[in-house]
Amino acid sequence: MTSRVLLAEDEPHIIELLCFLLGRAGFAVDIEETGPGVLSRMAEGPPDVLILDVMLPGMNGFEVMRRLRSDPVGAEVPVVMLTAKGQREDREAAEKLNVDVFITKPFSNVELIETVQRLAHGRAA
Amino acid sequence: MSTSIVGARIRERRRSLGLTQADLARRVGISASYLNLIERNRRGIAGKRLADIARALELKVSELDGAAERRLHEQLAEVAADPRLASLGIEAEAAGELIGRFPGWGRAIAALARSEQEQAALVRIFSDRLNHDPFLGETVHRMLTRIAAIRSTAEILDQVPDIDAAQAARFHAILSEESRTLSEVAEALAGYFDKAATPDREVTPGDAVQTFFEEAEHRFPAIEAALAGAPPAATGQAARATAELRSGPVIDRLIEEAPGFGTASARSRARRALLAWAADAAQAPLGAFTAEAAAHAYDIERIAAATGLCIGLVCRRLTALEPAPGRPRFGYIAANAAGAILDLRAIRGFQPVRQATLCPLWALSRAQAAPERALRQLVALPSGHRFVFVARARAVGAAGFAAPRDYVTDMLALTEDDAARTVYGAGLEARAAEEVGTTCRLCPRKRCDHRVEDPLGAEIAAA
Repeated sequence: MTSRVLLAEDEPHIIELLCFLLGRAGFAVDIEETGPGVLSRMAEGPPDVLILDVMLPGMNGFEVMRRLRSDPVGAEVPVVMLTAKGQREDREAAEKLNVDVFITKPFSNVELIETVQRLAHGRAA
Repeated sequence: MSTSIVGARIRERRRSLGLTQADLARRVGISASYLNLIERNRRGIAGKRLADIARALELKVSELDGAAERRLHEQLAEVAADPRLASLGIEAEAAGELIGRFPGWGRAIAALARSEQEQAALVRIFSDRLNHDPFLGETVHRMLTRIAAIRSTAEILDQVPDIDAAQAARFHAILSEESRTLSEVAEALAGYFDKAATPDREVTPGDAVQTFFEEAEHRFPAIEAALAGAPPAATGQAARATAELRSGPVIDRLIEEAPGFGTASARSRARRALLAWAADAAQAPLGAFTAEAAAHAYDIERIAAATGLCIGLVCRRLTALEPAPGRPRFGYIAANAAGAILDLRAIRGFQPVRQATLCPLWALSRAQAAPERALRQLVALPSGHRFVFVARARAVGAAGFAAPRDYVTDMLALTEDDAARTVYGAGLEARAAEEVGTTCRLCPRKRCDHRVEDPLGAEIAAA
């Protein structure tokens, strides 16, 4: 069965590139461009992997994570936090919120896709 | 009292006078061995005995036991206690001797230590500023995002073998667009650092004078007071003479007390500028001018007609009105036909950059095309501030049939609320504000037909 990735990102080119890469890797991709949008999407059924940008309109990625983890549906979703905010305190905050993998921009395509594959596989297993 | 300073100083002075311990001891009526103990800081000394020794050494007591030395001693003690210097084996106990024998070296060490502390404090401030500067944080974030897109696209083009032509073209377009945006953001960042590297303190005498006037908000009550009671000067020449005579000492005091005039050139420039300001005040004393301005609803042409003052002087004096409830505040700018700024009096929200080319959409420029007529303009600046500009070009230089006509434009700037308190507020509510800039390099209006330079920081907001 095709794994679903929810891509929470508001940069059009990044969205386009990741859709291309994830599509080639066999994932079905849904896109959300705002923080609140990610949370309401969860109600429709959690994705296999969430790729979450930090700087999202409406609600930043950390707040999305906090709410996600306190919700029974979102608590178990594997999350790749993808961000240009790579400072130590951001990593620590992500760790506290049980982010599975923290990847900073600029990222390597191969590393990102392999990470998503690994997380999706773990979920499926 | 720090006895270690006193002992060392006594010995130093004694030696410089060519006296033995026995000689000095005899003169002050103590034993040589006791003096030896004093000089080696083994015995404290104060009161009459210290006074006797000072007298014998032809010094004042304070020269043997000075507060400056005590402070210096404390500073050197701090240096000696600095944990970073712990491995140097500093002879902390010899600080007194050092000050006594080599006071210059003592002061040098203390001065270097103080300077080091100040630099460290500055570095902390700058580092704090860098860490918390929202512009920098935002810009770095944007750069990293652009770089992420570029890297990802480049990897796709490089590593994906079966990419079709249309898709490849699309990725090339992304690459090109992202690279362009990245260089714009990087350029703006470089511009920001250029600006940040400029010291806060004024670097030229002109800057120092400008800052001084801005801090005073272009009002000098002390000068007005010095001129109070003098009959209004009828001509510019008489006004300058009155200004010098009546307000010269006040001006000198203002300059002396100002912190920014470190050079003779800055002081002389400041004096000229203040005298010119005082000459305006001498021609249009504030009390009568304030009443006249209000009576004519701040209509510059009617004030000029009623008082016989030139329009430029009327505008400048409007900027000097004492702030009062209900009384409008005026910003002012004067420029020649080439757009060079001759006078600039900023108010909140209206702060043109003196060294830059001004926006050609301002009434300031348009007034040159229709001289001797006041032109009103409601503008919205890129900052969101809305102002009413009132500009009028006046002829300067020699008059006469064959003489060339040159014009200087005076322009007042006032907020919409303030404009409503003047003749220039009439009918404004029905008009749409014209979107203007300040200067191209700082203007984000990308589609402006009048742009002559690329914006420096604006693309950051737009990127």
